[in-house]
Amino acid sequence: MTNRRQFLTGAGLAMAAASVSPVALARLPELVSRDRPDTMPPLIPDSGQTYNPVVTLNGWTLPWRMNQGVKEFHLVAEPVVREIAPGMKARLWGYNGQSPGPTIEVVEGDRVRLFVTNRLPEHTTIHWHGQRLPNGMDGVGGLTQPHIKPGQTYVYEFVARRPGTFMYHPHADEMTQAAMGMMGMWITHPKGRHPLIDSVERDFCFLTNAFDIEPGSATPRTMTMLDFNLWTLNSRAFPGIDSLNVRKGDRVRIRVGNLTMTNHPFHLHGYEFIVTGTGGGPTPKAARCPEVTVDVAVGQMVQMEFLADEEGDWAFHCHKSHHTMNPMGHDVPNMIGVDTRGLAEKISGLIPDAMIMGDKGMADMQGMEMPLPDNTLPMMMGQGPYGPLEMGGMFTVLKVRRDQKAGDYSDPGWYAQPAGSMAYEWTGEAPATERQPGPDSDPQTMQVRKPGAQMEHH
Amino acid sequence: MNQTPVPGGSLVPIALLWLLSGCASTAIDEQRAALGQFSTAQFSVKPAWLNSEIDRQQARAWVDALLQQPLAEDGAVRIALAYSPAYQALLADQAAASARITQSARLPNPVFAFERLLREGSGSRELEINRSLTLALLDLLTLPRTLQLADLRQRQLQLQTAAELLRTVTEVRQVWVQAVAARQRQEYFKQVMDAAEASAELARRMEAAGNFSRLQRAREQAFYGDAQSQQVRARLNADTTREELVRKLGLDDPQQQALKLPDHLPALPAIPQEQSKVLQAAINDRLDVQLARAELNHIAKSQGLVTVTSYVNGLQLKGERNSATGRPVQKGYELEFPLPLFDWGDARREEVHARYLAALNRTAEVGVNARSQTRQAYAAYHTAYELARHYQDEIVPLRKAIAEEMLLKYNGMLIGVFELLADARDQVGSVIGALDAQRDFWLADAALHASLLGQPPSLAGMEAQAMSVAADRGAAH
Repeated sequence: MTNRRQFLTGAGLAMAAASVSPVALARLPELVSRDRPDTMPPLIPDSGQTYNPVVTLNGWTLPWRMNQGVKEFHLVAEPVVREIAPGMKARLWGYNGQSPGPTIEVVEGDRVRLFVTNRLPEHTTIHWHGQRLPNGMDGVGGLTQPHIKPGQTYVYEFVARRPGTFMYHPHADEMTQAAMGMMGMWITHPKGRHPLIDSVERDFCFLTNAFDIEPGSATPRTMTMLDFNLWTLNSRAFPGIDSLNVRKGDRVRIRVGNLTMTNHPFHLHGYEFIVTGTGGGPTPKAARCPEVTVDVAVGQMVQMEFLADEEGDWAFHCHKSHHTMNPMGHDVPNMIGVDTRGLAEKISGLIPDAMIMGDKGMADMQGMEMPLPDNTLPMMMGQGPYGPLEMGGMFTVLKVRRDQKAGDYSDPGWYAQPAGSMAYEWTGEAPATERQPGPDSDPQTMQVRKPGAQMEHH
Repeated sequence: MNQTPVPGGSLVPIALLWLLSGCASTAIDEQRAALGQFSTAQFSVKPAWLNSEIDRQQARAWVDALLQQPLAEDGAVRIALAYSPAYQALLADQAAASARITQSARLPNPVFAFERLLREGSGSRELEINRSLTLALLDLLTLPRTLQLADLRQRQLQLQTAAELLRTVTEVRQVWVQAVAARQRQEYFKQVMDAAEASAELARRMEAAGNFSRLQRAREQAFYGDAQSQQVRARLNADTTREELVRKLGLDDPQQQALKLPDHLPALPAIPQEQSKVLQAAINDRLDVQLARAELNHIAKSQGLVTVTSYVNGLQLKGERNSATGRPVQKGYELEFPLPLFDWGDARREEVHARYLAALNRTAEVGVNARSQTRQAYAAYHTAYELARHYQDEIVPLRKAIAEEMLLKYNGMLIGVFELLADARDQVGSVIGALDAQRDFWLADAALHASLLGQPPSLAGMEAQAMSVAADRGAAH
């Protein structure tokens, strides 16, 4: 349990350097930013109404300053460097030192005042996706407000009217700024008990994000429409995505927001869950759909809840199989089934160190530790207790342990399967497979003739 | 009556005249010495004159020993100058031309005539014996000038043969560079072909396994086909240039089989020749300038002679001593010369005057062009050097870096093996470009050296000029 003071002193944070004049900054809330990609423990509110805070995967919640009953936040839009996974750093745009930006948590009915400072090279705005607010606070540059020019600070002020899961993202040069990684999560907790919003023990949130970063470089190509090569949750790719660590018996809620260019069907192993809410709010109980895979479309938010009563390491991932891969060549020809004998020597005579790969599938890729271009993640990564996981991208693990302490979100390590509950290799005698004799030819059996073909059957 | 009369005069004047005419073999030796000096100074190689069978055997043995090792550029030059029959023929032609010049300055021999007439009639027998000695008097009078002109001609021949040597050496150097480069090129085209072959074979197997379409396989095979044709052409080029070198060196069958060319061209020099040093090379030392000036000199000197002989084209003095039976000895002289009545020689004078003007202008032309030629040769040399350096220092290392990065991408399965092999082909292509640039540099280097020494005209013109010396003096009677 940390409060804001501990959070500020304990975590690695940086005070904002002055590209905005210190005099102007004097009356703004202090600028808090982070540069480490760890999952921060939930931020327990120390002022205003209480709520059960969320945990942002590989992220954090933005602290606020209470000013005469108004929660004041300070967001700064700036270029950042984000480690997508160990071994690869990307030059992105984000908020307060990271992409995505910090999660903003408020309570239904809170008046919020958001100071947005722009340190990008171009103008920006912030749109509060899904929220009810005065039109002038909607953040659509040119339509509802003038753009926030570089160096300026704008103030958004409104009341958080509706409980639920929301997002925030730029609405100026939106394609570029979203492609560069600017987005963040917004959670409005219900005031007191809500008939449609249950209380849960563990509440996780993340956003999906996709990049096209040329292997060997670090800045995404913003004009890509379809051919992305890095699929991330909160700008992290497996094995850089922290696991969701819960106690057996906890009620778990997972909130997902999608700001990529395509939908993502999220699949949880081992459980059925209930979709309890969308961006529009909590769904009526009778209308809640049970699912094992929920499809989150572009611009949608989804809340899912379940009771974590099965222990184990349960995979949780987008079910588009190429979204669980790190950068791969989309034009590489398939070598499966091709006889490559004799060719390997010929090719390594011309290009030393080149090996023929892929003629038996791609699993060997993870086995061979081969040098790659700089700042590039291998296509498949991750080591589990029983071997390579051969995963990347939007893949993480839900770890349910009976001995996970309440409020403890640290990684408990791998699950020790109880005896007799694991798939094993059969080493005994294999029974002889009886071959079924073919049916006897029967003059009564209809002979099928193709119409029109004059063929002789013998 | 049976005596052979001794011609008048003593032997001494004749001996003097013989000495004054000069010795043919001395002139040839002088020619050889001058050529040897020039060759040693410019190329550190002396030509050899293989006059006897023993000389030829020795030269052959020495060439065979040299051919045990890969043949370097200076080795090729040495073989060309001291062994190849083509150059030996040129040297022999030089000796012949020198002898001809010497001949052209020789006085015609005095003619001794002896006549014995017998008149036998009724009882009387008259014997008449006429002796005469004829001397070409005009030639004797013009001998000093003729000798001077012959000396000038010998000097011109020296320059001519030096130019011929320069041309031979330059050609041998260039042919050697072409042969070595073509051989290296062939190796690289083979590498390209091997890479294409691996792609084509893999594509064929992919089609057999159903992973490739016919179109995809045909495309890869087409690259292979192109690479094969290029390799075959490169092989022919290597064979052709090698045969050219063999012909230039005059090697026979067992020798050309033993001939090994080096694997690489010589490395580029660290610094190219300085332009200022090149352009300051004395104009007056150039062979072409010297040749033009010698020609002009000769014509100028011969103008006086031609003026004289255009009027009187022959003067003969004959001394006679006749004796007849019963008569006293008759002695006397005869003087003979053509009268310039129909041909008063103005055409000949006009001709020599015009030739003088022509030579004067040619000298001017050569002098003016010399600087321009040198500048041009230097520009070609410097550009070739820059290009070769550019390939060596920038393009080839860049391609190598690209190839390394492509391998890293291939390791990450970001590209397939066909792309990797195609890039390997491109990389070898850039190496071939570097080799071509290096070859062009060495060709330009030989051309620059030749240009600094002066462009060599052809030897055939020399013989025509030797003939004209005789024409200047007119036909001897």
